[in-house]
Amino acid sequence: MNTEPVLRLSGVGKAFGALTVMNEVNLDIAQGERHAVIGPNGAGKSTLFNLISGMFPLSAGDIRLRGKTISGLAPHEINRRGLSRSFQITNIFHRLSVFENLRIGVMARHGVRYGLFRRVSRMRGVNDEARAVLERVRLAEVGDRPAGDLTYSEQRALEIGMTLATGADVILLDEPTAGMSREETDRAVELVREITEGKTLLVVEHDMSVVFSLCDRVSVLVYGNILATGTPEEIRNNRQVQEAYLGEEVA
Amino acid sequence: MLARIVTIAAILVVLVAVPPLLDIGWQNAMTNMLIASLFAVAFNLLIGQAGLLSFGHAAFFGVGAFATLHLMVVIEDGGLAFPTPLLPLAGAAGGFVIGAFAGYFATMRSGVYFALVTLAIAELFHSLAPHWDGLFGGEAGLSSMRMPWGGLVYGSSLEVYYLALGWTVLSVFLLWAYTRTPFGRLTLALRDNEQRVRFMGYNAHSTKVIIFAVSAMFSGVAGALLAISNETANYTLFSTHVSAQVVLHTFVGGSTVFFGPVIGASVFTLFAFFVSDVTRSWLLYQGLIFVLVMLYAPHGIGGLVDAHRRHWSQLRWSELAPAYGLAALSGLALSGATIFLVEAFEILFSPEYDAARRRADGAWPPFELFGLDWQAFGIVTWAVPVLLAAAGLLLLPRARRALRQAWDGVLERTEADRTGSVSPELAGAAER
Repeated sequence: MNTEPVLRLSGVGKAFGALTVMNEVNLDIAQGERHAVIGPNGAGKSTLFNLISGMFPLSAGDIRLRGKTISGLAPHEINRRGLSRSFQITNIFHRLSVFENLRIGVMARHGVRYGLFRRVSRMRGVNDEARAVLERVRLAEVGDRPAGDLTYSEQRALEIGMTLATGADVILLDEPTAGMSREETDRAVELVREITEGKTLLVVEHDMSVVFSLCDRVSVLVYGNILATGTPEEIRNNRQVQEAYLGEEVA
Repeated sequence: MLARIVTIAAILVVLVAVPPLLDIGWQNAMTNMLIASLFAVAFNLLIGQAGLLSFGHAAFFGVGAFATLHLMVVIEDGGLAFPTPLLPLAGAAGGFVIGAFAGYFATMRSGVYFALVTLAIAELFHSLAPHWDGLFGGEAGLSSMRMPWGGLVYGSSLEVYYLALGWTVLSVFLLWAYTRTPFGRLTLALRDNEQRVRFMGYNAHSTKVIIFAVSAMFSGVAGALLAISNETANYTLFSTHVSAQVVLHTFVGGSTVFFGPVIGASVFTLFAFFVSDVTRSWLLYQGLIFVLVMLYAPHGIGGLVDAHRRHWSQLRWSELAPAYGLAALSGLALSGATIFLVEAFEILFSPEYDAARRRADGAWPPFELFGLDWQAFGIVTWAVPVLLAAAGLLLLPRARRALRQAWDGVLERTEADRTGSVSPELAGAAER
């Protein structure tokens, strides 16, 4: 097995003016790992994702994707290097069809960024692949509907599909099951498990049962610091974590 | 699809076959209609498809016109044997280059800031042009003549019309084909959600610069056609009026429908052609129409047409026709009252009427309107607009209720067709 981490965060810090929201975060994600980031509200989980995906510049430290630094790159450059993220608040193309939402991602994967001189309907590879993603996220039946018309959980599935469609193999999912019912959550977890097969997954999640059933390793983020990293079992038994975050519920 | 092809073919046949039967005034009006249509469709690439509202598109329209005139001057001086029908290429090139340059800066921001930067760019041209003799011919502008080429003289309005028709059809077709390309789809995605586009691996800024440049390029072609038709251009082409006019055309026609801007541009060009001869208040009426369309049909005329097309099989004309009839009656009565008041006041406050009063020693002489004499303080005079307005206002709520009921029915049937059955709730509503 390749020992070099796919994603390495070393000394990552972020300050908004005088407000420091992230201190010296060090984190290694191995190839093929499913890694969860948990922590109380305001711990900086979403900030961490925004830093990795290039939405905000770092204040300190370095982020490396397969050994190459990605800090300071624009979001689209990071995506082209194989890291794709989803959003906590559904972030789709509301007026385009579900199929087209996914096709935009597949086009990016094929490097069709300035395709002005051909017809998109004639691009068989792109269309077939978009249809395949549509089926994998189980939205084939609503493929022709405007994405804005989908139910909430369908939009969440589309959100994940769009993240995958660009062909990245490091996937960051920001609360993929937020706001879902128990049943929907189970289905979403199944979906995430299935479609991230063979990829590296970093996920922010609030639902502990999801974290413990889906992920190989867990990092606990509290006030901009990584409190602990380990297997779900280790995290469950870590006294510091219990005190800081999990509380009596798990203890 | 077939219906659409037949419609477009029929319109093209009319556009080709009818103008030879018309007089020169009409032919010129038709040429202006084509130019305004192309300009509006090019402009709508930005607002309708990319969601970018430019308030300075006169810049690229004007650049296209001046670039073409410069080329015409060179040809006229005998320096170049350039085919006259290809003159708009100069406008396209000028629009593209200036559009790419201006677009690079304008698209760094979006929303209001984008609109303001485009406004500033057009203003820059507008204030620069009168002082720059070499490039824009100073305040007088540039003039030239169409040179004969390939057996055609390009002397008559009809020949110019056909040249404009060819270029407009070609350009509108290319802009339509654009929507079918991968980049055209990306343009729509950018309108819906620029952030997501960036996180899916696209460079949003360079994408917007290209969209902007393409829009400016076709605006330049429209400007070129105007230069060819008028054989002259001056700095007023860069004025806010031109920029505002294309916004007006596009929104009244409907920016959400591809051919909407064509409808808006044609309607308003013909409106100007007819009404500007009859009354000096035509700009006021144009503004009123714009406000009414924005308030009551925000998707424009094209949006209304499109709604009927989409729901064609669910339309019940037995319900719609009376509702539309009622709305038309109410609208006619209200516009009658408005027009009467506007025209009457225009006369009463005019210097001519003032002079007439002075001749009549301060009395209020009768004034002529719609071929009749009216007393300035006559009861009959003011009863006409008051009665018309009252009738219109009385009918208005009824018309609106009838319209709402008829369209609720259409939407209900659409929903039922889509889900395959009528939900109990909707069935209950229908019975009520």
